[in-house]
Amino acid sequence: MATALDKPPVSVGSPSTSSQPKSGFRKYWHLYAAISPFYLLFLCFGLIPVGFSLYLSFHRWDGLGSMEWAGLSQYKYLLSDTDFWNSIGNTLIIWALATFPMIFLAMITAVMLNSAVRFKNVYRFAYFLPNVTSVVAIAIVFGSVFSTNFGLVNALLQAVGIDQIAWLNTPWGIKIAIATLMTWQWTGYNAIIFLAGLQTIPSELYEAARMDGAGPVQTFFRITLPMLRPVLLFVLVISTVTGLQSFSEPQVLLQNTSNDSTFAGGPGHSGQTMVLYFFQQTFDNNDFGYGAAVAWGIFLVVILFSIVNWRLVQRRGED
Amino acid sequence: MRLSRRGLLRAGLAGTAATALGGLASGCAVPTGSTGRNMVLWYWDGGLGDTVVKNAKARYDSTVDLQAIKIGGYYRSKLITTMAGRAHIPDIAGLKGEDMASYLPNSDQFVDLRTLGADKYKSQYLTWKWEQGIADDGTMVGFPIDCGPVAHFYQYGVFRKAGLPYEPADVSAELNTWEKFFAAGEQLRKRIPGSSLVTDVNSIFENVVNQGSKRYVDKDRHFIGGEEHVRQAWALAVEAKQRKIVSNLVSGTPDQLSAVEDGKLPSQLGASWATSDLKTGVPKTKGRWRVADMPVRPANNGGSFLSITKACREPEEAFRIITWMMNAANQAQGFVDAGLFPSTPASYGLKTLRAPDPFFGGQDTMDIFGPAAQKITVAYNSPFDIALGQPLKDEIKNVGVLGKDPKKAWSDAMSKCRRIADHLGVSY
Repeated sequence: MATALDKPPVSVGSPSTSSQPKSGFRKYWHLYAAISPFYLLFLCFGLIPVGFSLYLSFHRWDGLGSMEWAGLSQYKYLLSDTDFWNSIGNTLIIWALATFPMIFLAMITAVMLNSAVRFKNVYRFAYFLPNVTSVVAIAIVFGSVFSTNFGLVNALLQAVGIDQIAWLNTPWGIKIAIATLMTWQWTGYNAIIFLAGLQTIPSELYEAARMDGAGPVQTFFRITLPMLRPVLLFVLVISTVTGLQSFSEPQVLLQNTSNDSTFAGGPGHSGQTMVLYFFQQTFDNNDFGYGAAVAWGIFLVVILFSIVNWRLVQRRGED
Repeated sequence: MRLSRRGLLRAGLAGTAATALGGLASGCAVPTGSTGRNMVLWYWDGGLGDTVVKNAKARYDSTVDLQAIKIGGYYRSKLITTMAGRAHIPDIAGLKGEDMASYLPNSDQFVDLRTLGADKYKSQYLTWKWEQGIADDGTMVGFPIDCGPVAHFYQYGVFRKAGLPYEPADVSAELNTWEKFFAAGEQLRKRIPGSSLVTDVNSIFENVVNQGSKRYVDKDRHFIGGEEHVRQAWALAVEAKQRKIVSNLVSGTPDQLSAVEDGKLPSQLGASWATSDLKTGVPKTKGRWRVADMPVRPANNGGSFLSITKACREPEEAFRIITWMMNAANQAQGFVDAGLFPSTPASYGLKTLRAPDPFFGGQDTMDIFGPAAQKITVAYNSPFDIALGQPLKDEIKNVGVLGKDPKKAWSDAMSKCRRIADHLGVSY
């Protein structure tokens, strides 16, 4: 790679660019060299593995022996694989269950943090803390919070006269438990981002609104929310990206309820997200070819959502 | 930055080509193993006895520099990746029993231990365990470390209170069929309300399958998970659910541990290594437990192997090291260090193993595990067993936990297996 960079590329000498100083690359090579580490690393650890996984997805491979050409059969199987579709459904449901309450709570927290005067930094720190705590540790704690006989949640339910629920052993209980964990983990982080957004709103707007006789509710919906829209979209995009890749949360939370495979996602695969399914196929079954196809399936789902997000952001630019 | 689709494709293809080239280059350029002087051994935490490893290091210090490395995390995938990368491959590699099926088809990656004279050690080891380390093509890949004979752990006082047999000999003799085992579960539930004999239906299903000589896929790559031996395990698991002898708890959760502690779950079908799970999970139950034979016949669960990889420069020396580490005396030490149940019957009589265990009320558990280990039948472990056993385990769990109709669950499991078999090239 380094030798290729030292030599001027052939295209520099081509007729279309000959009017420019010939030494364009030679003049700036040290700048290119300075930024090259990222691209070299990206090539080694990003692009090549990505290319290889595409190549892999057209083969059958157990990880050790020889690869066997499989054509499109892995993808054909992927389309008919109910477990894969189920995992997409799980991921989206868990994402929705986690994201909407999270945004709502983060917004409230941010508005409160914005008005609080005392110990502001202490609060910010406290709200941010869940985000930098290890997911594994959180999942273990949540595992006991949601346990059937001695869990905190069931204790609260029983206190108000509701029967206990086997959270980690029922399809919806599992999804709610995972979503709660994710909500808890990300609310503070997003509240901080909302807070940053709130502080960029000029105070004149609020003053003007007050002059015109707007109440706090009206102010929130007519000024705060519209002004926060770009921040809201940012939060949505980030939570989509993290939500679609959720792995550790269900893996650690459900490893006891998933017999044999720690990637099975509990009874009925109800907590098996896309990435968990990928792990199960690849590493439990040693089916690396199919695992690669699943990875590309996940890639397509993420692309689809990215396009949706992108359209949302675009529309903001129009108005 | 604008990235056109063509640009992406081109980059992808270039990347693929580069990988292929890189793969070719690494074949001859990168050192594949260690030098003769270094001897690298890979194992996992608890995979070998610490004292044994330390003694081996000291013993062979004059000839090799034995570096025993504990690999954390997902062991198999790390070993496979390293071997596929053809660089820094350990000379000696531990292989977990449950992963054996996926290594054996790639026996060309390992040194055939028979070429090093393994056969002369054969008589010292359990026959079924020895056979498990041999690939279909006759290559001996794995040298036996430990095994996991399954027995019936129960709480003495609870069984006594429920009017069940309570002395180990009586439990072994009287609960020797699944019918009697289930009847005992019903009696327990009647006498001590709120208690269940076993935690979940999967422990019944999987133990019954493990008792047999057939599993899910046979040697000819044919799916046999729908045949009589699995149907029978399924039927027994369903029966356990219908006769209400299983709890609604999940193994290993705080709920289950506290139920075990309260004597509400007084029985477990567990392998020899489950003793250490009990000792750490429910330490307060010390003295309350006893061990008896499991119903019908013993099964095996777990147990691992040592192998010599093709990258090893000094296979003879490596073989000397593993045969020494796995001799009867060191296997006994491994049991003391890490609860590794010896695969050498000669160890069972050794003094270090013959000690009354206060956790089991002073019972000498070797009386149960020793004979059990020698009565285990060999079952063929297919590399496709994991993929094709999972739908059955998932569906029996749905029956046990979600209350799914057993008939529907069975037909769902079968249609899923048919699809997976078709995909993996296993005949159905």
